Amino acid sequence: MTDKSVVISGMGAISAAGATVRGTLESFAAGTVNAGKLSLFESPLECPVFEASSLHPPRSEISSNSAPQDGDRTLRLAMAAVGEALRDAGLDSDRDGLRIGVCLGTTVACQLNDMAFYRAYREKGDAPMGAVDRYLKNNLADAVARAVGADGPSATVVNACSSGTDAVGAALSWLRAGMCDIAIAGGADELNRIPLCGFTALSVVSPNVCTPFDRDRQGLNLGEGAGIVVLETQKSAANRGVGSPLRVTGYGSACDAYHLTAPRPDGSGLEAALRAALAEAGVSPADVGFVNAHGTATRDNDKVEGAVLARVFGDDLAFLSTKGFTGHTLGAAGGLETIFAGTALREGWIPASPGFANKDDEIPIAPVTERTGIDTRCAVSTSLAFGGNNSALVIERVGQ
Amino acid sequence: MSAQESNISQHSTPCINGIGIVFGQGRGIARLERALIRGWVPPELLDLSFFRATGFPIYQVPAEALNDKTFSRKIRRADRLSKMAVIAAADAMADSGIDLPDTARVGIIFATAFGPHATTFKFLDDIIDYGDKSVSPTSFSHSVHNAAASYVASVLDIRGPNLTVTHFHFAFQEAVRLAGTWLNEEKCDHVLVGTADECGTAMEFIASRKLHVALDGKMYPFQLRRMPSSVPGEGSVFFVLSAEPAGNSYCALEVDGSAPADIQVINADGMLPDESAYLNALLPHVPVSAYTPLSGSFMTASSFDCAASALMIRNRVTYPPPVTDNPHDLPLCGDSTPAPSRVACVKCGCGGKVMVMNLSG
Amino acid sequence: MADKDQELAEIREKLKELLVSNLSLEDVKPEEIEDDAPLFNEGLGLDSLDAVEIVVLLQRNFGLEVKDMEMGRKIFQSVNTLAEYVHENRDQAGGK
Repeated sequence: MTDKSVVISGMGAISAAGATVRGTLESFAAGTVNAGKLSLFESPLECPVFEASSLHPPRSEISSNSAPQDGDRTLRLAMAAVGEALRDAGLDSDRDGLRIGVCLGTTVACQLNDMAFYRAYREKGDAPMGAVDRYLKNNLADAVARAVGADGPSATVVNACSSGTDAVGAALSWLRAGMCDIAIAGGADELNRIPLCGFTALSVVSPNVCTPFDRDRQGLNLGEGAGIVVLETQKSAANRGVGSPLRVTGYGSACDAYHLTAPRPDGSGLEAALRAALAEAGVSPADVGFVNAHGTATRDNDKVEGAVLARVFGDDLAFLSTKGFTGHTLGAAGGLETIFAGTALREGWIPASPGFANKDDEIPIAPVTERTGIDTRCAVSTSLAFGGNNSALVIERVGQ
Repeated sequence: MSAQESNISQHSTPCINGIGIVFGQGRGIARLERALIRGWVPPELLDLSFFRATGFPIYQVPAEALNDKTFSRKIRRADRLSKMAVIAAADAMADSGIDLPDTARVGIIFATAFGPHATTFKFLDDIIDYGDKSVSPTSFSHSVHNAAASYVASVLDIRGPNLTVTHFHFAFQEAVRLAGTWLNEEKCDHVLVGTADECGTAMEFIASRKLHVALDGKMYPFQLRRMPSSVPGEGSVFFVLSAEPAGNSYCALEVDGSAPADIQVINADGMLPDESAYLNALLPHVPVSAYTPLSGSFMTASSFDCAASALMIRNRVTYPPPVTDNPHDLPLCGDSTPAPSRVACVKCGCGGKVMVMNLSG
Repeated sequence: MADKDQELAEIREKLKELLVSNLSLEDVKPEEIEDDAPLFNEGLGLDSLDAVEIVVLLQRNFGLEVKDMEMGRKIFQSVNTLAEYVHENRDQAGGK
């Protein structure tokens, strides 16, 4: 542990695995996988998805002809998790005088892709501006900052699948630089027709429930959710009497500089990110008790990531992919997985990596196949993104 | 003082060591200099069905500025936004003259307000025309905000951390702040910080509805009133930011520093409902300039102001504002304004928020 | 047989035009693509993103599905193998 660590003083999570952190852990304990048929919007695509069914769409959003109002659902998911995280941190009221920054990752909410607006414009050269007005008001970090009255730095990170991890990393930098004392960080993304079509066209979506790291894996399932952590400087936490044992102690990031959609085959970018995160945290690979892997269940990702994890941590590494419980939640993934690594350290166990049955001979290691006790102070969470970005966080538990 | 507090106090101000730009008048820092000297030029006028009053005024990046055979194979599939960013970033690196033996020590932070919206709409075209099952994966993978930064990294082989941020008014400012922390934390020796935003027919339609598009093709940045005039523009600007001056160094750059300034540059770009907020943000008696009538209105155009300001400091010259209508009697820069060694680039956003970038040489 | 050769030649020509336009091969003319030259890695130097784009190209222009990318790897080796696949399956699909 170095003195650059920040405290995780609150956590909030919503996904197909649960409406709260506690609900999610119950799903993990029971091994419940809530993949199912798409119900949020109409689509001819028939792949399983992981919907956050606890967040019911308002009646007006359900239509046979068009997708829900894009961007609104992402913000609602984010606010659900932000609310839980602030309560967890003892910050749900009386935030006056605190310098709070907001750094959130997303992929869908930043895009102006409302189908009804565009169809009307295309057909008639004119369109109602409601969707545009909502879009212009709802930069994700900004909207959350306004909602909670945060007046510190505000940025929405759009780094594809590593957005949530990178948002936590950026917030870490803000806190260390004194730009704010507290940061709301993580990410959110809704299940949306645009990425569903797009990832399917890229031939990386599985027709069955995803099986990360499995020999017969066929690709990812899309999910949705939000994973939000409240981070603060040790000084701020001490002033507020916060007693959380969890810390983020290191962040590393490196770009493959290789290809828009394929990872660098030798995994050197991910390895560089991991080693940078470990160095920043002042820990060695042997200190790391387990890794929450990116593990999307695509052929390429799991092969490259598995090889790198084995290279850095050795063949006896305990690791899993929680995407078997949540699907790939895109911008939310990094936030959710930071939380899952932290709660595992706190609770002392990780679930069996869901969906895994058979080791792939092309991957040197295999994830845990049963609930595994964790007696460790240190964990790592990894993210690999389209565009070639690789990011890693080191999360630690202090105290007993 | 705790170790954490002492971390905060030990920082040096990042330096701009190279600049690359593509904008309505073309490509390159020399082109920008000529534009700043020449002054206002009329925009292109487009014949658009939803804007019947006159032609639709626009400052578009000319096609020849994006036509560079050096990169053609590597960016063959790239859309306009990614091409703008690659060219501006490559030019910034070349302008810096810095030799980079280890590109793992170079980071990229890319800031955009609207991202590759033209490609996003092209992807929606695919869904409408061909159905959900027969869309182009190339269009989809280029429709994400971080595609441009991915191209910059792969074309220039830059392997350090790579981040894309989006925000409507302050994407550039937040990108520069974050770059400063990366340099201070020694994550990187240099950070390529840049912006890009583009025009496109759907966006022009939105501009015609949401903005007060100027019928005379001219922006008046000192009117500072409700419903300011706007001329849509597009472009990309990249800076090589380093922990220390090196190569072709321009000046130091800091966000929300409280340093005094010799000149204030305001980013009154016609995109706020009410620009009178700038009147409260200005330091009294300090000469004022504005270059938005050259860049056009786009959310990340404060990077253009930053480039112009860096040029003034390095070249020891003052560029006068291209449009000087001044109903508030502000002390505008003129022929007798001494060349600045310190410039404040001021940007107002929604809800009364103001961010100031301080450049000093 | 002559008919088949003629049909294959037409398919090859159309494929070459589609490859150049859909994959943004700006510095290549369709007639410069050799029938037998490898499309991926060496030869034309296409990559994995081009491969999935070719799947869509086959769908939209010939009504053909490629079930998975393992199958795709075999079909996409050259213009010749692509044209053979189109000719064979287009007839079975009964459409153009």
